[in-house]
Amino acid sequence: MAGHAGFVEADNAEAIITRIEHKSRKIESLLKQYKPVEALKTALEGSPPKTRDERCKSANWIVVHRAIMAIKDVEGMFSSLDPEYYDILMKYLYRGLSTGDRPTCDQCLRIHEKLTERAGLGCILRSLSDTVNTV
Amino acid sequence: ANTLRLYLTCIRNTLEAAMCLQNFPCQEVERHNKPEVELKTSPELLLNPVLICRNEAEKCLIETSINSLRISLKVKQTDELENILTKKFLRFLSMRAEAFQVLRRKPVQGYDISFLITNYHCEEMQKQKLIDFIVQFMEDIDKEISELKLSVNTRGRLVATEFLKQFI
Repeated sequence: MAGHAGFVEADNAEAIITRIEHKSRKIESLLKQYKPVEALKTALEGSPPKTRDERCKSANWIVVHRAIMAIKDVEGMFSSLDPEYYDILMKYLYRGLSTGDRPTCDQCLRIHEKLTERAGLGCILRSLSDTVNTV
Repeated sequence: ANTLRLYLTCIRNTLEAAMCLQNFPCQEVERHNKPEVELKTSPELLLNPVLICRNEAEKCLIETSINSLRISLKVKQTDELENILTKKFLRFLSMRAEAFQVLRRKPVQGYDISFLITNYHCEEMQKQKLIDFIVQFMEDIDKEISELKLSVNTRGRLVATEFLKQFI
């Protein structure tokens, strides 16, 4: 079972990275059209939670980071973002907060406050306790 | 100042969510009860550690486990003098960790000060008050260090003036 999973991962790593590159092109075009919320949704959607490959996670993080930094209106974003994305967004926010880079941390702190108001402490706890699907 | 407020709110929310501790006797050794976050022997008892950075200099690491929670802080130090003052001041506090109960005697590697909160603390004291204490501590530490720096500079200036008067 573990061997099978390892085999699947090695194969899929390349496929996933190609998918992430496609996604990043789509997101760039969405950002040019001033649609940061759609860009964020696209970035969060195809998140590959089951891989343990660091490259896939880093590649996906770069894409999500781009989308997060492009958001100017946090309140407006939450009115159009579906609740199913809250958990995965919270995980990426914590990843952003751990980078230590000042503009990223500023933006992530702003979004974190509003997201906690919206989604509650359960969202934070789910991102803390989920050791299987990490970002 | 606004980022400070956001930073503290983020830490407060994370602590409120993470401070869900219960008694859990040691799995390996009979009749022992150890804070699992310090030992890290069993991965199923640990949650993901969370690092919250305000900027390049200040950060806060929160590690939780089933019966204990460890919070490590790195305080902003802009110059050499603040470096020395912070180290001495926080060492002064850490040495009196008994009185604080939730303070750890040695900070975690890479940080200035650490707190260890166990389920026993949560049973004796209120969770909200513990969180208020930690956040208040973070606010006050900055003020304390600036006050210390100011008093060191003032005293240095006074002493130097007095000493050099004899040469006039």
